[in-house]
Amino acid sequence: MLIFRIAFRNILRQKRRSLLTGLSMTGGYMLLVFSFSLLEGSWGNIIDIFTLDNVGHIQIHKDDYLDRPKIYKSIQDRGQVESVLTDNDEVRSFTPRVFSPALAYAGDKTAPSRMIGVDADSEPTVSRLLQKVAEGAYFSKLPNPDGYYEAMIGRGIAITLKLKVGDEIVLISSGADGSIANDIFVVSAVIGNKTSFDRMAVYLPLSAAQEFLSLGNDVHEYALLVNDKNDNEAVAARLAEQLPFLTVSPWQEVESTFYRTMQSDKQGNYFTMGLIVFIVFVGVLNTVLMSVLERTREFGVLRAIGSRPMQLVRLITLETFMLSFISVVVGFFLVLPIIYWFTEVGMLIPEPVDMSGIEFQHMKGEFSTRVFWTPMAFVLATAVLISIPPGIRAARILPKEAMGSH
Amino acid sequence: MTNVIETRDLCRTFGSEETEVTALDHVSIDIEEGEFTAIIGPSGSGKTTLLHLIGGLDEPNGGSVMLSGSNIANMSGNELSDFRRDHIGFIFQAYNLIPVLSAEENIEYIMLLQGVNAAERKKRVREMLAMVELEGLGDRRPAHLSGGQQQRVAVARAMASNPDIILADEPTANLDSKTGISLLEVMRDLNQKRNMTFVFSTHDEKIMERATRLIHLRDGKVELDERK
Repeated sequence: MLIFRIAFRNILRQKRRSLLTGLSMTGGYMLLVFSFSLLEGSWGNIIDIFTLDNVGHIQIHKDDYLDRPKIYKSIQDRGQVESVLTDNDEVRSFTPRVFSPALAYAGDKTAPSRMIGVDADSEPTVSRLLQKVAEGAYFSKLPNPDGYYEAMIGRGIAITLKLKVGDEIVLISSGADGSIANDIFVVSAVIGNKTSFDRMAVYLPLSAAQEFLSLGNDVHEYALLVNDKNDNEAVAARLAEQLPFLTVSPWQEVESTFYRTMQSDKQGNYFTMGLIVFIVFVGVLNTVLMSVLERTREFGVLRAIGSRPMQLVRLITLETFMLSFISVVVGFFLVLPIIYWFTEVGMLIPEPVDMSGIEFQHMKGEFSTRVFWTPMAFVLATAVLISIPPGIRAARILPKEAMGSH
Repeated sequence: MTNVIETRDLCRTFGSEETEVTALDHVSIDIEEGEFTAIIGPSGSGKTTLLHLIGGLDEPNGGSVMLSGSNIANMSGNELSDFRRDHIGFIFQAYNLIPVLSAEENIEYIMLLQGVNAAERKKRVREMLAMVELEGLGDRRPAHLSGGQQQRVAVARAMASNPDIILADEPTANLDSKTGISLLEVMRDLNQKRNMTFVFSTHDEKIMERATRLIHLRDGKVELDERK
């Protein structure tokens, strides 16, 4: 196509200038991709930590249990819920849970705790509870030969009550029917460390917790993981249609404060990225304007022989777009291995970060199509936008005056 | 014969107040289809200004220009562009070819603007190059062509869109005598074979000798209009 040839040859007309302009766009694109990967990767890691640690990608509750948890707000029709979740190909795994505050005591010491009843088999498919066992062994869902159920306790409880694996712990709470709930459990494991979110938690096998709280077969929550974590909100919306009598919440609602904080931080970073693009494109604008100025006579000729003003705008836009496209393609191939390394290996953090008992030593990026395409689309769109003013300038050139210029 | 160009009381001034210069002063001329007309006169007599006004490259301060029955003052910017593209071919003193395009592509470009399909464009480019005797040089860019060859490409470009009128501003001024004559023969031949209207602004006696009509301008006014 002749118009593409004209545009391409005009780019090559001032090779050094085009090269420098292209390099600035390549550098800008690479910086954007790296920043975007770092931003998404960092937040992605944090999201993975708490979603895979405990929250899950989606949670299902009865009514407003999430905001106002009450022991009686329980999910009763578990068969239907589990049937819907099992039949849904987008759901990777799910697990039921019950919760209740409880007073824990051992010997002459007491501590407030959060009792969490989990299904011993399915919980590890949704959370890292199994990996967080710091001492002892993951509990059995069945009572021991003496008839006692096992409990796994947070590090905070273990310290406060001076408990170790094999000791007994007594929990006192109130049942769903208003009765006093109390029972003895045997500590099978200590979970996480002093900074874990569940340092004051006591985990019980689901059936033991249901029995303890007189809940029958009811549960308070289903936590689930989906196959595509970036699609969790859409999956939640579809599940909500299938389970209209329950409240289906993506993690963005479950952890709404965190989500808002993350969004604010991202916006701040997007602003910084926008600033990078602005600085790069001020230079590009200057180049394009210079190019238009130098070719005033030619534009005058093109107008004289019948080019419409808009056709000149299109030509300038095409030239800028082609230069920026070549630049980002070059940038893409240069930054691809860097981002791959950044995602697979990551940068070593001087001080490892402990998140709920899991230690992170590397800062990692995100390697996904959006990490590359979003900055690419941004750079190309900006290139098109930035070329419009010089294009308009070219379009306004008066043939008679332009052809008198040199 | 029908008039393809009609100017009525055409006026054009440049500058303002004390510095005002009258380039054209109530010029009224009719040019018929197929005429080979030379507008002649001393420097500053208004030849180029008249050509620019006829071609719609400049706007008059007064009067009108009718081309093939259309008043170009009533045309919008795009309509005027389209009119120039389809009805007027320009040949400039400085050739004004697009430097990044080869000779073929310079000729092809205007047909691209007209929406002519690729096969037809290629065919017409070959015809035009043959007509101006530049076969085999189509792939050369202007920088690799002599002045005469460049002006031949400019003629071919002006002809490529099949215009009614060719406006040529001092087309031989930068050419040596032999090249100028050769080019003029090409244009005269086209004029006779295709009945295309040519209007030159010139000082060149070779053009004056071949022109069928001479319009003498002096101080922006028509001094003499003679048909041979």
